[in-house]
Amino acid sequence: MGNFAALIHNENIKIYSRVRTWIMLIILAVMSALIPVLVYFTGNGDADSGGMGVWDNFQVSIAIAFFLNTIFTVVIASDSVAGEFSWGTIKLLLIRPWSRSKILLSKYIALVLFSLLSTGVLIAFGLGASLIFSSGSSEGVAGMNSSWSPAQYSFLVILCQYIQLFLTAGIAFMVSSVFRASGLAIGLSLFIIFASGIFSLLFNPDRFEWARYLIFNHMDLSVYINSDTGAGGSTLGFSIAVLAVYYALFMLVSWIVFRKRDVAA
Amino acid sequence: MKGSETMPNTAEKVEPVARLQGVSKKMGSKTLISDLTLDIPAGQIFGFLGPNGAGKTTTIRMMVGLISISSGDILICGRSIKDHFEEAVANIGAIVENPEMYKFLSGYQNLRQYARMVSGVSKQRIDEVVELVGLGARIHDKVKTYSLGMRQRLGVAQALLHRPKLLILDEPTNGLDPQGIRELRDYLRRLCQEEGTTVFVSSHLLSEMELMCDSVAIIQNGRLVDVKQLKTVGDVIMPIGETLFEVDAPEAALALMGHGVLKNGGIVLAATREEIAELNAKLVTGGIKVYSIKTLARSLEDQFLEITGGEGIG
Repeated sequence: MGNFAALIHNENIKIYSRVRTWIMLIILAVMSALIPVLVYFTGNGDADSGGMGVWDNFQVSIAIAFFLNTIFTVVIASDSVAGEFSWGTIKLLLIRPWSRSKILLSKYIALVLFSLLSTGVLIAFGLGASLIFSSGSSEGVAGMNSSWSPAQYSFLVILCQYIQLFLTAGIAFMVSSVFRASGLAIGLSLFIIFASGIFSLLFNPDRFEWARYLIFNHMDLSVYINSDTGAGGSTLGFSIAVLAVYYALFMLVSWIVFRKRDVAA
Repeated sequence: MKGSETMPNTAEKVEPVARLQGVSKKMGSKTLISDLTLDIPAGQIFGFLGPNGAGKTTTIRMMVGLISISSGDILICGRSIKDHFEEAVANIGAIVENPEMYKFLSGYQNLRQYARMVSGVSKQRIDEVVELVGLGARIHDKVKTYSLGMRQRLGVAQALLHRPKLLILDEPTNGLDPQGIRELRDYLRRLCQEEGTTVFVSSHLLSEMELMCDSVAIIQNGRLVDVKQLKTVGDVIMPIGETLFEVDAPEAALALMGHGVLKNGGIVLAATREEIAELNAKLVTGGIKVYSIKTLARSLEDQFLEITGGEGIG
């Protein structure tokens, strides 16, 4: 038997030898860097009257670029399993002396590595551009009312955004493994991103007790940065617990289905 | 179960590479394969013959663990593909249906993918296999530029990388030109003779099987119909059959030969090559004119159509 690292290496090759992946990373880098630049040039340019500071600028960049980051990660996640099925290569992949669980795990790890890389690109380019193109000297971040420093606050926001991305990618990975169709996986997980805001409005945990257990009401953990209680009076611990249960469920479904289902034409 | 599977050392040599034991596959209410029992002896090119839709690919998919086995079991080198998948499948190299590869990678990169998944496949081995299937310089081109024949070769290459004991090829001649088929046949035979690899090859091309295989199993509507040995004569492989002696005095000839039946002004009997020569000598020295000696071997195709009744897809 070979070693497991080789399996992850294989998956990485499949991701990074496609032109598409690099186009996505380049778009992400450009967008992350472009937003601080745009803010800089379209702002009133008056540095003294409190233009956007470094961290403020970075916040705007994150808010927009993370959206792209999520979409791109979802695309990779959706293709991870479904791609092998649509290419037909799954038949050659699964007849190696490796259990299906380990093959799926190698795919999942490669996906998480991609999401970390793309988030790294986003931070590097977003922060870099913010540092170069910031006109204001204001040190704070708009909307921040806590004891955190702007840098700490920014990275907490990134962490919360990443958790959201991580869960969305988990959904995409599950749908990809269950339905073996990347289009469906991309569509469904993006729908969840867009609809989660509406769902948390409709199923407000203040009105419905059971809505406290819906994933939509907990995906955005950033509410806890400035407040101790989130939607429906839940605590950070409760939100994390709900997310953990959903995450475990997504993974369990992915694994069970991938292990058991027949690979037929 | 465990106890019955431990074989005495004497049986080691004759232990089949693959054993299908009462294998069935049901999908919903449909039975695709029913109670298929088949031993694939080591060191042979074993054909798996059947019309389209007979269940050849389904059987192969079960043998490599791509689909579950509804009942029965499949042992590869004595290990169950159900219970010891990783150990069992390590002995197999296969192409299931079309050899689909990562199109965005080169042929070489594709092979590297599979080489990484097993231990002991060196760069040298990859080159060796590339040489064997004759991909040569094109191996570094992207697979999307390959013709079907080249992809078929690459498919064989990935199946051979780890020197499997059992090579399973599903319709390998699909999409190959006559020259490609000829080459495939030659290197399968070489592989079988030089490396002792057992080859299990499915096809609906009867004539092809006749030329390629030592034995064939015939399957129809998910059932095993027959297993036939094909006898090798030099490089040409032909089924054992009956021989017709055309002579001037059939009765006298029959008396001399001792057995056989009178038919078409001659004698028909089953005989080996050596026996035919001896009988001929006997007739000539007995003063009987021998006009011709003909082998009445029905071609596999005749037998196949006879056995399957020339039915369409059931």
